[in-house]
Amino acid sequence: MSDWSFEELTQWDDRICQIAKGYGLDWFEISYETIDYHEMIGAMSYHGLPSHYAHWSYGKSFERTHGMYNMGLEGLPYELIINSDPSIAYLMVENPLYLQILIMAHCVGHSDFFKNNRTFRDTDPARAPIRFRSARNRIQSYIEDPSIGIEKVESIIDACHSIQYQIDRRGRTRLPEKQLRREYEQKIKSDGTGKYKNFNIDKLPLEPEFDVLKFLVENGRRLADWEKDIMDIIHEESHYFMPQIRTKVMNEGWASFWHYRILHDLELPDAYHLPFLKTHNQVLRPWGLRINPYHLGFEIFKDIEEKKGLDECFFAREIDSDESFIRRYLTEDKARDLNLFTFSSKGRKNPDWTVDDIVDETGWNEVRSSLINQVGGNSIPVIYVDDVEKDTLILRHEHDGRDLEIDYADRCVKNIVELWKGPVKLLTHLEGEDFEIS
Amino acid sequence: MSIFRSHKASADRSASDRARHKQKIDKAIRDGVTDIVADESIIGQDGKKKIKIPVKGIKEWQFIYGDNEGQKAVGSAPGQDVQKGQVVKKGQQQQGSGTGKAGKDKGEEFYEVEITLDELAEYLFASLNLPDLDRKRFKKLLDEKPRKHGTRTTGIRPRLDKKKSAIQRIKRINSARRDAEEAEEISTSFHEEDLRYYHIDSKPKESTNAVVFFAMDVSGSMTQEIRFLARSFFFLLYQFLRHKYEKTEVVFISHTTEAEETDEDNFFKKYSSGGTHVSSAPILAQDIIMKRYHPSSWNIYYFHCTDGDNWSEDNETAVKSILDLSGICQLLGYVEIIPPKTRPDWDTGAGSLYNKIKKIEGPSLKTAVIESKDSIWPVFKSFFGGLPDV
Repeated sequence: MSDWSFEELTQWDDRICQIAKGYGLDWFEISYETIDYHEMIGAMSYHGLPSHYAHWSYGKSFERTHGMYNMGLEGLPYELIINSDPSIAYLMVENPLYLQILIMAHCVGHSDFFKNNRTFRDTDPARAPIRFRSARNRIQSYIEDPSIGIEKVESIIDACHSIQYQIDRRGRTRLPEKQLRREYEQKIKSDGTGKYKNFNIDKLPLEPEFDVLKFLVENGRRLADWEKDIMDIIHEESHYFMPQIRTKVMNEGWASFWHYRILHDLELPDAYHLPFLKTHNQVLRPWGLRINPYHLGFEIFKDIEEKKGLDECFFAREIDSDESFIRRYLTEDKARDLNLFTFSSKGRKNPDWTVDDIVDETGWNEVRSSLINQVGGNSIPVIYVDDVEKDTLILRHEHDGRDLEIDYADRCVKNIVELWKGPVKLLTHLEGEDFEIS
Repeated sequence: MSIFRSHKASADRSASDRARHKQKIDKAIRDGVTDIVADESIIGQDGKKKIKIPVKGIKEWQFIYGDNEGQKAVGSAPGQDVQKGQVVKKGQQQQGSGTGKAGKDKGEEFYEVEITLDELAEYLFASLNLPDLDRKRFKKLLDEKPRKHGTRTTGIRPRLDKKKSAIQRIKRINSARRDAEEAEEISTSFHEEDLRYYHIDSKPKESTNAVVFFAMDVSGSMTQEIRFLARSFFFLLYQFLRHKYEKTEVVFISHTTEAEETDEDNFFKKYSSGGTHVSSAPILAQDIIMKRYHPSSWNIYYFHCTDGDNWSEDNETAVKSILDLSGICQLLGYVEIIPPKTRPDWDTGAGSLYNKIKKIEGPSLKTAVIESKDSIWPVFKSFFGGLPDV
């Protein structure tokens, strides 16, 4: 059924690696596993990780992907590679050879990105699979523990998933509370201006804490050890995935940029080259009302190479994340070329979605800031721990003009109550007014 | 140089998480079943007919942005003409969640699941959580005359099953022929071991017919809302019972001071002026039972919905007629539907007739009050579950 053998894959891989090295790409060794369609959906449900803790949401994810595929709404991803050293990637046995070649070239781009992009610095890719396996085993042991059981474990995981991406996105390191306290004590002592006269040194946290889950683990007073462990596991996983969220456009753009380059250099026979071009165009087509990260990233990298050279591309892949990447490299000309526009619905009376701004003298800034608002994890609202009043945990939403979906926020707050094991209050704005969820 | 390896097909790794997810959906469906809106006609549907039930989504809650004004999405359409103000997507109509429960179900997202009426009954039954013993009491056991039930190798001559015996003989001869050496003689006469005798059994037979009486007050005080609740209740009852019996007939009785048998359509639509004699319906039902559904071969169910506004002169007769009727019923349910807001100020709840009937409650006579859609399921459970509400 497949039109390829392992020998062929190895031969093509050799040539791909040679070309990639010639360009200066520097990636983790890649370990390809061939799997069938069913296993592919299974792997996707667990983000490609070879082992992962059990939770019903991954079953749901499987059913959804499987269902969409059956209805023809969604093709399977052509590639799935994880940030590990060696990088584990999957090749679906049903894929024809030209597609495997494309995927292998694409994976080299991803792996190079994982290895070199600054945001991935702290992800410890060499130990990633071991960490996830250990996490899986620990959670499994809690499920099997008769004094805990699946219901309790599930409800903690449900609650943690609610705030799994409420961690610091910028990768800023924040001093531990004790050290912070010492610093503030210094400041108060040497305070000449009276600025710290009324400063409450006992406030918790002393500075806004954006890592909500970590704060709960460290300051939750009524958590069992196993609960803390589960919270740590999920916190660690969020940390591991956050760089991928922050660089989705760049990462896909970079991988596409390189598969395109490498496949041209391979000088494929027409029987492979034409279907390759077709697939490439299919994957990299603009999506109209949504931004296709493959397309946007690819176009920007191409533009950088044209105007500033390939070295600048390597420089960007090293130091940028989506937000800075778009800020620095998406030019007005390119945006016009991509025909970017913003659109919105105009309230209940007129629910149709209409175009607000296009890239012209007046609209360009607006288009750019709207775009930045939805890349690099910016589509996830920022919530931080502001204070603890008596026993009540006070959270604030960093409002940037976008209101929270209140129903969801309400449920999330309930989930946080479960982790805090005490009252929780979230302060935000709704339709211009202060709004409080508790 | 990369590494290539063929994945060792391990056990289907997401199987248990899928099973767990399915359990959650099943539970949501069970919860939703009790929330179905009965705008279907009660009878005349076969079990394959699909109905929609609202099911609470199994959601993963996270902080997300809403869609307040001023939130802009970004699109990209190279090569196309995009103008300011151009409509790019039709707005969706505000979708209500469920039925008239807006506000209350804040944060709940419903999606509709289609299930067949048979599945509905299964879910209802599953929700009742009945121990096996209790399941049996849905069917009436009828004493039967002894009847033939299988055969045995021993017995008395009058019970000889000639046909089976002959078959046994042929079987024996054929098998002997297969095994025999060529010239061997084979006996073709009846042997003792060929003979089969009827086994006589007096196992009681289950009556598999049921008749369900739906009686309802149609006097002016029965508002649309009350009828709607009655209808939903009747619908669940019918679907449930239909599933338990091979044949289920329904009799609709509407009454004011007098009762009459009617069809489903009129039953829910008809309004009559006049007072209320609850007793008229059970008396008419008795009559119909004796003529058409004799208790010796029918399982009889009788459910009566009223707003409790009975004329006091009738109370004595009503209690007596209901008690009489319950004697021949598998179950008689007397239900007063009293939405709190329609209750007059001076009324403290269920009427005096209700209290009188409640006093004589027994295994086959139950009373209940339905206040809103939410109390339909608990009442249903109290009728059939016999177990405390969990």
